[in-house]
Amino acid sequence: MRTDVLHAVRLARIDLTLVGRNTTVLFNVLLMPLLLAAVYTSFPTGDIAGIDGELFVLTGVPGLMLAFAVFINLVNAFTARREELVLKRLRGGQPSAMAVMAGSGLSALALFLFQVLLLGVWVHRAEGVLPANVPMIVIAAALGVAVFGLLAAAFSGLTPNAEMAQITVLPVLLVMMVAAPIAFPAEVLPGPLAVISGLLPVTPIVEMMRTGFLGADHFTDGGEQLNMIEQWVAALPSIGILLAWVVIGAVLARWLFRWEPRHG
Amino acid sequence: MIYPMRTRQLADATGAGTAGLENVIEVGGLRQKYGDFEAVRGISFAVPRGEVFALLGTNGAGKTTTMEVLEGYAPATDGTVRVLGLDPIRQHRELRPRVGIMLQEGGFLGDLTVAETVDLWKGMSEDAGRPVTLSGSTELPGGFTLMGTRIRRVDRATMGALELVGLEKKARVKVKQLSGGQKRRLDLALAVLGSPEVLFLDEPTTGMDPEARRTTWKVVENLREAGTTVLLTTHYLEEAERLADRLAIMHEGLIHTHGTVDEVVATSGDMITFRLPGTSWTFGDLPALDGVAPVLTYSGGGTEVGYTLTGADTATRAHAALRPLMAWADTRGEALERLAVRRGTLEDVFMRIVGEAGL
Repeated sequence: MRTDVLHAVRLARIDLTLVGRNTTVLFNVLLMPLLLAAVYTSFPTGDIAGIDGELFVLTGVPGLMLAFAVFINLVNAFTARREELVLKRLRGGQPSAMAVMAGSGLSALALFLFQVLLLGVWVHRAEGVLPANVPMIVIAAALGVAVFGLLAAAFSGLTPNAEMAQITVLPVLLVMMVAAPIAFPAEVLPGPLAVISGLLPVTPIVEMMRTGFLGADHFTDGGEQLNMIEQWVAALPSIGILLAWVVIGAVLARWLFRWEPRHG
Repeated sequence: MIYPMRTRQLADATGAGTAGLENVIEVGGLRQKYGDFEAVRGISFAVPRGEVFALLGTNGAGKTTTMEVLEGYAPATDGTVRVLGLDPIRQHRELRPRVGIMLQEGGFLGDLTVAETVDLWKGMSEDAGRPVTLSGSTELPGGFTLMGTRIRRVDRATMGALELVGLEKKARVKVKQLSGGQKRRLDLALAVLGSPEVLFLDEPTTGMDPEARRTTWKVVENLREAGTTVLLTTHYLEEAERLADRLAIMHEGLIHTHGTVDEVVATSGDMITFRLPGTSWTFGDLPALDGVAPVLTYSGGGTEVGYTLTGADTATRAHAALRPLMAWADTRGEALERLAVRRGTLEDVFMRIVGEAGL
């Protein structure tokens, strides 16, 4: 166990070094969601769900970051490394399968938290708001990385090569951008869609992030201020949905993930 | 080319070396299928501790498949495999730190430098409780930035690994800029880094220039001296002859022959060849040697005569055959032109197996 942790941290550090050396990845992972956030917030909006529209959208941006910094990043990384036989070599080396996956997850978590930090600075400067519940933001980030890391592992199994990764991630990306309550609350979607949106893994993460930033109930349409305990109680259904998605993601990853290119 | 017998082989030949030796690698009735294709069709062999064992064969013979089952990459379709007495899949965690693997190709992070790659592997080996004991003659300073990349110090252990395979001048080069042969050498350095008890080398010198090949052989020979058990695959006969204590020739998923180089070569028979003037010679004119009739081919106004001796006494059969041949020549008053006596070679055995199975 200790060895696995040491290996995972070591691999995560190497991952981050490599992200720093690859301009394309750096742009896709770090800049893209921030650019999108700038586009999303450039349209004048009134209040949404009882708060300033720009603040509402900005606190939903972690949903986009999750798509780019975690999901797309990891589908690309897993696919490219499988095809280049890096995964095979790692698995034949000292680290266990668990440590290899955890290493990628840790580096994605570090990137994601770094972006959320940047976003926190942005929110503070633009709106004068400080995060109300940092532990909730961190827990949401960790659960988000767990779910989307596992989904990325599963999707990389469906992706024949690194070029195709752009296409296989598209459906997930579209769903995340359209159905998640980034720029509007889930409740404004027509009945069945709202239910579906609530069950998608990105929705509870966005709602936890927003609640964590604003200290108000953004799990329902209400938006009233909650104390710390009330925030966690309100988050319980979301945490439950995410834990269920961790299980689903793990099953899918186990089924679809491949360590080596297909024979022949 | 025949190399002089080494002391280890002598020990084995006298039985002193093999008795009571623990088998580090055991393969029993291994079959491996990919869909409908059966890459390995039932093979068995064992490698005692400290031995270098070579799987020799053409591409597609099933060598790499066999390796990958032993390395724990794929479960055996049928049969049993044990490495250090452990199941490569179910006891992977226990086995991993004690095994070194050199893959056939690829698998590097191209944007890392050579030293960073070794550092990563070294660190992971240390994390797993196997410190790297190599020590190079020098270290490289770090702590500055070059073209946007932070240059880290390269310590003696890492330099030691690079010196072992002659890559010390490439420490700061990115892996993607290495040639194919250099990548193979880096691969070897990573495989031997943690002083493994068992080393798997899959075609270790493919793509290497002759000098790198000799360096690699030297590394393997030194490891053998240190008691490492090595399983290597190769399609270079010279490599198998030079390195292997014992070898097995694989073809189309089966082991066709195995033993020490001498034992295997002995199965090919000794060759006696000469030329007689004129083309009027027939089988009846020539003596049978060691119970074998000659093969005659006519060319350039002469007759090429060849005997392949496969008698049981491999050491003296050629000598024994020459006496009646000389007596025959004396009686007939013929000179045996270009008389040659040659031991069979590994290549003869190899070509016979590959050829026979191909018919």
